[in-house]
Amino acid sequence: MIVETDFCIIGGGITAAMVAEKVSELKPGTSIVVVEAGSRIFDVENRMKYRQRNLDYGENAWPGDFIDDQAAAGIISRTMAVGGSALHWGGVTNRFSEEDLTLRSRYGLAVDWPLTWADLETHYCEAERRLGVSAELGAYAEDHPSQPYPMAPMPLSYNLIVLKEWADKSGILFNGTPQAKNTRPYGGRAQCQRCNTCEICPTGARYSPDFTFKQLLAANKVALHDQTLVRKLVKSPDGKRIESAQAVSRVRNGEAVEYRAKTFVLASGYAWSPHLLLLSDAANSSGLVGRYMTGHAFIGGQIELDAKLYPGMNEQHSLISRRFFRCAADVPFVRHDLRVWESSAGRDPRLKDAAGTLLLGDAALADWRGRTARGATRVRAYYDVHPSVDSTLTLDPSKKNRYGDPLPVIKHVLDEQTQSRKAASHDHIVGVFNLLAKANNGRLLNVSEGNYLDHPSGGCRMGSDPKTSVCDSYGRTHDHENLFVAGSPTLPTGGCTNATLTFVALALRSAERIASA
Amino acid sequence: MTISRRDALKTFGVAGAAFRLPPDATKHSFRQADDRAAVFLAIAEVVLPAEADRRAAVAAFTSWIDNYTEGADTDHGYGNTRIRALGPSPARNYAAQMAALDDAARAKGAAGFAAAPLDARRAILEQALASAKIDRLPARPTGAHVAADLMGHYFNSSTAADLCYRANIARDACRGLAGSDKPPAPRARG
Repeated sequence: MIVETDFCIIGGGITAAMVAEKVSELKPGTSIVVVEAGSRIFDVENRMKYRQRNLDYGENAWPGDFIDDQAAAGIISRTMAVGGSALHWGGVTNRFSEEDLTLRSRYGLAVDWPLTWADLETHYCEAERRLGVSAELGAYAEDHPSQPYPMAPMPLSYNLIVLKEWADKSGILFNGTPQAKNTRPYGGRAQCQRCNTCEICPTGARYSPDFTFKQLLAANKVALHDQTLVRKLVKSPDGKRIESAQAVSRVRNGEAVEYRAKTFVLASGYAWSPHLLLLSDAANSSGLVGRYMTGHAFIGGQIELDAKLYPGMNEQHSLISRRFFRCAADVPFVRHDLRVWESSAGRDPRLKDAAGTLLLGDAALADWRGRTARGATRVRAYYDVHPSVDSTLTLDPSKKNRYGDPLPVIKHVLDEQTQSRKAASHDHIVGVFNLLAKANNGRLLNVSEGNYLDHPSGGCRMGSDPKTSVCDSYGRTHDHENLFVAGSPTLPTGGCTNATLTFVALALRSAERIASA
Repeated sequence: MTISRRDALKTFGVAGAAFRLPPDATKHSFRQADDRAAVFLAIAEVVLPAEADRRAAVAAFTSWIDNYTEGADTDHGYGNTRIRALGPSPARNYAAQMAALDDAARAKGAAGFAAAPLDARRAILEQALASAKIDRLPARPTGAHVAADLMGHYFNSSTAADLCYRANIARDACRGLAGSDKPPAPRARG
């Protein structure tokens, strides 16, 4: 089967949804086909049931959201469906800061991004409007948006009010985390009902891309070809353009599908975008496709404190401080966010006490109550680390999907400067945790270092120089004038806070150029 | 051709089994429903606190068992990339465990576990849990022992948390945003 279209968007996640929506607005009447390897899971009416099964049995709250033989080593999510990882994201919409775009010029580290903060900030505002972000102005004025947030902030739960009073005593100022969750009906979706299971929001109050796709389909603005795996991009004889995308239908007996488009947009995330480019030997004259794979490292901890808390009020919501997004140029470099959640750490019911005595019935309840007299909080810092050129996504010839395509393997490697400051970064962050703990007679119970990079990105990094980057700041590949990469793969560095809003902002910025391509 | 454990569970229901048990096997194979409920309640009177609504706890546990779906795909959310399936129902182990409880009760002169005095039941369960080497409450029933499973199922519930904190936190309910900023209302006793 041959499909001809103006725009072929490969991937069905949050960046694909945003690009499709914006291009359809900028180019009314244009033909847009979105091709997604996974299935569409549009049965909102069943989400309450799925949520309950997940709570009761740990069953997958998104049935069928993966492909058995399409897995990458080193990834942190198997989700492959229309909506992508943003089906089950937490909805946290923190922004990066200006420092992320100017690491080289400010600190002599990593690289600068090839766009200005003012430019990105404009698209942050747009992303917040499209996703529907509820937030308050933060404690630090330099982080204030240039346009109002679309919705009033999510009210702090009683627990978070108590924790904010506690945390602010440290002199580090906090506020509620911005979230793509409705505090009033917005975007055709309902108000949050505080179900405490944001990874499977049963009401649609937390944004997920399936809603955007459903709206686009209802308005006949896009065609959605799900369960269709793109296996290769075919270049023109002179190599300057992409002529077609070769795909296979996963449901029609492996029928071959060829997409011919004026413009191709690769919106398949940090793993599958560089993977397809490597399979296609495309966009890689720099040799940097699948390199500089990035993300942020993290350290977490549990703190016991003098406060009566009620774990379970809204465990998904948290406090954030952006105090440490900034670092003076003349002190050892460390940048991180700082998050605080309610927690029941160390306060769960147990069968035996510390002495090994069996606790049954009333004894178990009394023991539990005794350990909940003081409260607990979970704290975490995402901190800024920078990738080496040897931080890679490569093809593993020993692992192939059913079509014989080698699957990706990701190995994160940090650059020398990051590695040399690792111990100092750790000590600084633990020091901040201790500062918080001591603010109200608290005690840091434990500290743990993450063993992967969260919110992974990179693999097709943007830049002005075709020798040192895969695409320009709009995601247009240097090698192929009609091929764009959108969102997470284009990030040169991964920041120090949740990155989804940044992926979306960059994708929306790309969409303007894509529409005019 | 190889077949994964997950595929085997999806196909056969139980890893390694060559056939599929009747759908209601876990419900009725070891006890009739009334008999089973009586034993569960007799266990609950030992392992659950007096303040708990034990009948409701037993009903919730029974419902959990009866609605367990062997082979269902489990959560593989963010940070969890392994695709797995739910294993055999924990309840498959209960028949033998409950028979052993009856045997132990008869050895103490009772007609069966449910008919034994409270102190005797407690002693029997303490011995059973020790024999099963169970040191922690399971987050969800595992089949290691029915008493631990019943206890874990209750103590990890939203209902039990409310009892512990003496407040209507209602962790697992959709509650709306109104009142979020107030401490949860005190919970009535019982």
